[in-house]
Amino acid sequence: MKKLTLAAIVGFGLMSGSALAASAWTGGDDQPTNPLSCDATPAAAAAKPYDGGVPTNAPDRNGKKITVVDVPKLIGIGYFNATSKGIADAAAELGNVDAKTDGPTKANIDEQITFIDNYITSGVDGILFAANDPVAIAPVLKKALEKGINVVGYDANSTPDARQWFVNQAEFNGIAKSLVDSMAAEVGGEGGVAIVTSTFTTPNQARWIAEMAAYAEKCHPKLKWLETVEAQEDNNLSFNQATTLINKYGDDLKGIFGMTSVATPASAEAVTQANKCGSIAVVGLATPNAMKPYVEKGCVKSVVLWNPVDLGYAAMMVLRSVADGTLQPGATSVKAGKLGDLQVINGSEILLGAPYVFNKDNIGQFDF
Amino acid sequence: MTAARLLRHETILAVLTIIALAVLASMSDKFFTPENLLNQGRLMAEVGLVALAMTFVIVTGGIDLSVGSILGLTAILLGVFWKNLGLPLPAAILLAVICGTFAGWINGFIITRFNVPPLIATLATLALYRGLAEGISEARSVRGYPEWFFFFGQGEILGVPFQLWLLGIAVVISGVILGLTPFGRATYAIGANETAARFSGIRVNSTKLWIYTAAGFCSALAAVIFVSRVTTTRSDMGTGLELDVITGVVLGGTSIFGGRGTIIGTVLGLVLIQALKNGLALSGVKGDGTIVVIGLVLIGAILVGALFDRNRGG
Repeated sequence: MKKLTLAAIVGFGLMSGSALAASAWTGGDDQPTNPLSCDATPAAAAAKPYDGGVPTNAPDRNGKKITVVDVPKLIGIGYFNATSKGIADAAAELGNVDAKTDGPTKANIDEQITFIDNYITSGVDGILFAANDPVAIAPVLKKALEKGINVVGYDANSTPDARQWFVNQAEFNGIAKSLVDSMAAEVGGEGGVAIVTSTFTTPNQARWIAEMAAYAEKCHPKLKWLETVEAQEDNNLSFNQATTLINKYGDDLKGIFGMTSVATPASAEAVTQANKCGSIAVVGLATPNAMKPYVEKGCVKSVVLWNPVDLGYAAMMVLRSVADGTLQPGATSVKAGKLGDLQVINGSEILLGAPYVFNKDNIGQFDF
Repeated sequence: MTAARLLRHETILAVLTIIALAVLASMSDKFFTPENLLNQGRLMAEVGLVALAMTFVIVTGGIDLSVGSILGLTAILLGVFWKNLGLPLPAAILLAVICGTFAGWINGFIITRFNVPPLIATLATLALYRGLAEGISEARSVRGYPEWFFFFGQGEILGVPFQLWLLGIAVVISGVILGLTPFGRATYAIGANETAARFSGIRVNSTKLWIYTAAGFCSALAAVIFVSRVTTTRSDMGTGLELDVITGVVLGGTSIFGGRGTIIGTVLGLVLIQALKNGLALSGVKGDGTIVVIGLVLIGAILVGALFDRNRGG
């Protein structure tokens, strides 16, 4: 039965593939791609009018001391501890912000909404959030805007009109460029590569793969794509799928992309157990803690993600600029302290910058 | 069952609630404002509705762990009926509520027909209904409901949130049923001694079936309000709801062994928890600190209850 379903899915995938001119690589989606340039030139920002919200009768907060609350998806995990540290760092550097992080202990939409609601009543000046659900959080954020509170999101967006700005940690084409560039550097610019993803229909992964295919075709045409395999987000299945790839393609396989934080460490483990460290490169999205053993052994050279400390730092800096009135709708960039000028994209989003590549030299500094 | 003893627990709880309100009001000037209190009423309506039915369940000596999953399943069905099957929204709401009620009926059927302990039966359906919700929705949200639908979760009548009216009416109805009708007396009798109740000619199974069905109905109603309040449908809605509900009911003096408990007690328990959560947050206590306080209050209430039990036994 399972095989039959799988066959049906594959069959359907092939049919839709021929009909819709899907990505050159299996597992990508059929949305238009926008590969970045091969060198480090930033993409020109497409002009799009400001689509964020505006607080009602916000008092003049320019230069005044403000209280800010940060409500992440949940508290007590390494990732949001890191963003919270970034926020605290920025607040300390600014000196006129009283910031604290508070939130639910589970990624629960209802609890997060209740937390924000209570902080609106308690009368904060600014709210930072990472939404558990973009739509569910919107009514309470709109309520905050109506009370004149400055609202800035990071990590996970809400609907645009429910907040003023959103600090976007990475664009799809930026992640794709980092992954493909790292892989090309490790395999010497040519050779066969395979992908371990979650499922062909997972939105983020499908978008990344489509962008990777477009970027590789443009900048690293000698990278030869072999196969994309699905491994849900299952540790065991990811390991098995990666092992199958290694056995199936033998010496033709020069590198494996891991598209999820589960697939990447599992692929690294598969390569380690096959004694292929050094001859098969593993590059992927993952959190540093999961990858430390492989990076320290030298089996994996680059892990791509963004730096969550910088993300929190940028969010706090943006909120301060909004409160001061220095960041207005229509701006094209914003000053964010030590991070320099950050670019405004998509109307009301601020791009953190190129993704962060963790390697042997810097991975020890991160704990999430 | 002595009325005086029941009254004593509720009197203590009422005094405790008033003290808590007074202390919290003195800790933050933003706490005891009509706006905040009404808003808190809005936030507690979903838990409150389910807690009323749960009071009946626990008074019979049972438990229903699946209420959060029924909420999630109803929410998903509402979205799927409306968006994927293209039914008009009122019909989708009605049909989803019927399905949620049916899910409650299944709980009752398994418990009464196959004599499965309620803890086991509803632990199983907790997983079953949540799994169905996730499978049916394929982990996708349904959004874009029309503006009028948001009235249930965000609208007001005479300045009071809609769901608070609904909760008020439900409190009166359930209070009357549990306190003043033969059905209510049957509920207590089952909890006090099921075998004796059976031999007294009380229709134990049909009473239980009604009660678990009502729990399904209340969870389904809460789901509609929840979806309307947050304007979207997700399969993880209501996760952990059962614990908030049971906490409120038990704090309200309902004995987990059955036979004892009142609607007024449950309402007081709910108010006390919601006041603590909100008041502590407003006076600057972080979320983790608030959970600790609620845990301590619950232990305190159980100790008080145990004290009464000892008095009765001695």
